[in-house]
Amino acid sequence: MTDTILSVSNLSTSFRTDRGWLKAIDGVSFTVHRGEILGLVGESGCGKSVTSQSIMRLYEEKRMVRYEGTVMLSGTDLLSLPFSRMQHIRGRDISMIFQDALSSLNPVLTVGDQIMEPLRIHQKMRGDAARAEALNMLRLVGIPAPETRLRQYPHELSGGMRQRVMIAIALACHPQLLIADEPTTALDVTIQAQIMDLIVFLNRQLAMGVILITHDLAVVAQTCQRVAVMYLGQIVEEGGVPDIFDRPLHPYTRGLLASIPRMDGDRRERLHVIDGTVPLLHQMPSGCRFAPRCPYATDHCRKEMPQLRSVSGGQSVRCWREEE
Amino acid sequence: MQSAFSTDTASLARIRKELVREQRRVNLRRFLHNKLSVVGFFIVFLMLLLAVFAPVITGALGVDPYTSLGREMRLQPPSAAHPFGTDNVNRDVFARVIYGARISMTVGFFVGLFSSLIGTAIGMYATINAVWDNILMRICDGLKAIPNILLAITLMAVLGANMHNVILSLTIVSVPGVARIARSQALLVREQTYIEAMRAAGASRFRIMWCHVLPNILSPIIVQMTFTFATAIISEASLSFLGAGIPIPAPSWGGMLKEARSYIYNGWWMVVFPAIFTGLSVLGFNLFGDGLRDLIDPLSGR
Repeated sequence: MTDTILSVSNLSTSFRTDRGWLKAIDGVSFTVHRGEILGLVGESGCGKSVTSQSIMRLYEEKRMVRYEGTVMLSGTDLLSLPFSRMQHIRGRDISMIFQDALSSLNPVLTVGDQIMEPLRIHQKMRGDAARAEALNMLRLVGIPAPETRLRQYPHELSGGMRQRVMIAIALACHPQLLIADEPTTALDVTIQAQIMDLIVFLNRQLAMGVILITHDLAVVAQTCQRVAVMYLGQIVEEGGVPDIFDRPLHPYTRGLLASIPRMDGDRRERLHVIDGTVPLLHQMPSGCRFAPRCPYATDHCRKEMPQLRSVSGGQSVRCWREEE
Repeated sequence: MQSAFSTDTASLARIRKELVREQRRVNLRRFLHNKLSVVGFFIVFLMLLLAVFAPVITGALGVDPYTSLGREMRLQPPSAAHPFGTDNVNRDVFARVIYGARISMTVGFFVGLFSSLIGTAIGMYATINAVWDNILMRICDGLKAIPNILLAITLMAVLGANMHNVILSLTIVSVPGVARIARSQALLVREQTYIEAMRAAGASRFRIMWCHVLPNILSPIIVQMTFTFATAIISEASLSFLGAGIPIPAPSWGGMLKEARSYIYNGWWMVVFPAIFTGLSVLGFNLFGDGLRDLIDPLSGR
């Protein structure tokens, strides 16, 4: 468990817009160990996806982007690699699965062709060898009758099946790190559970690190060992799953946990809501970014930004209240 | 992972085959349902047959597009021996019309093929490189600004009149249209998540373009190809009619019409038959293309 695969430190990603450079994430740091699932949670627009896409450097071809900090994958800094070398790392050392499996699969290619694609690219596998490996992958992700599925097109598969195929594609080259960007959002609850079980199973089986991006805290509680909570492009709290769920330190984390409806609670009681909305990137508060919505905010909070500091038991938090 | 509901591979394969066959039946029925596109298909098919078997057909009738049949056979009206009559220099019009299909189809085919290949390559390349995108698309705009036939005539005047140059100049005229379609389709496909997923899988730009974007933009390009085919036939006829196309004595439909112009009062058959064949084949390709387009995208063109 101490074997570190990925260590992100001080990662900031800015995009060039009409209003100048906007920092979408600011000083994000975390590590992922071998065989570990790290949950990355936060509400929409807090920078979860930007973080994952920055690790993969997927923005470069599309728009003007600037990265700062380091992303160390087993001793190499991905951000300083030339673009062509980065291409060899994607799909071989780090893979990614996306939210909507249907739109993430090419409609005009067969499932088999798409699973063989990373094998062809990275391992120069051809013909029967690639086909055999694709079959293996389909079996590994638990698809029945893989020989038939290999020749089918994505539209012929069900939603859960498609997500399994996506996972097979992502894992074809046995990457050290898998980034799962809300892999179950587009699926119904029973299939969701199956896919999460599969991810946990493969995580143990292949001893890879997994970053699970989600806004579903229940999923995190069931699958992850550690969790990082993001708010407005920063990590506000990080630690082991039991610690954070038992003893959330940051007011935002507390708010998130309090917003989960409980089966044993009073049904008539209204759900807890965190007041206010996420500010826009160009109207960032100058002190603590959560201060405008925080019930405990003081003048100090509004003036000066707190740093992420470790507290007891490997938990760290970005809040002034914990300093005192 | 085997559950009670999963069927064995063999029966799944059988079900799948059934489904594929069913889908083909549905597609075929949809195509046949549109009577006009079937008519178009048969015209196209017939023209291609005529073009390929021109020597066989004329040989069977014992006629030839080039040889003079003697002074007494000048401007003879249609008869059993010469179904389309004879022309002002004593040649069999039927043989010339059939051989004319050869020229038209050859020009149409190669212009369609080359302009699709070049246009697709240009259109797709434009989506990779923003600088070249601007340069290539402005050149296309420039070419499109000049009326097609005028541009073709100019090119023919520069290049010299022969069949190769007709194909070359009509290809140059047709490329911008295909390039625009390829570019716009590629831009659409490029933004899809599956392309992003392929990038995340480590595919190079070239591989993404060739293996993942191209198959997705192929169908509109194929439809465009049938229209380019039709346009090329009529453009070739126009060029030859104006004397800038395939030089006489080659039996090009346009060239035949040009000659027939002077004999319109005493040899109407010289005008009518090449004109019918030109019109018919252009109509055929257009109807066929419409049918194909409806098949690929049932919502368009309604």
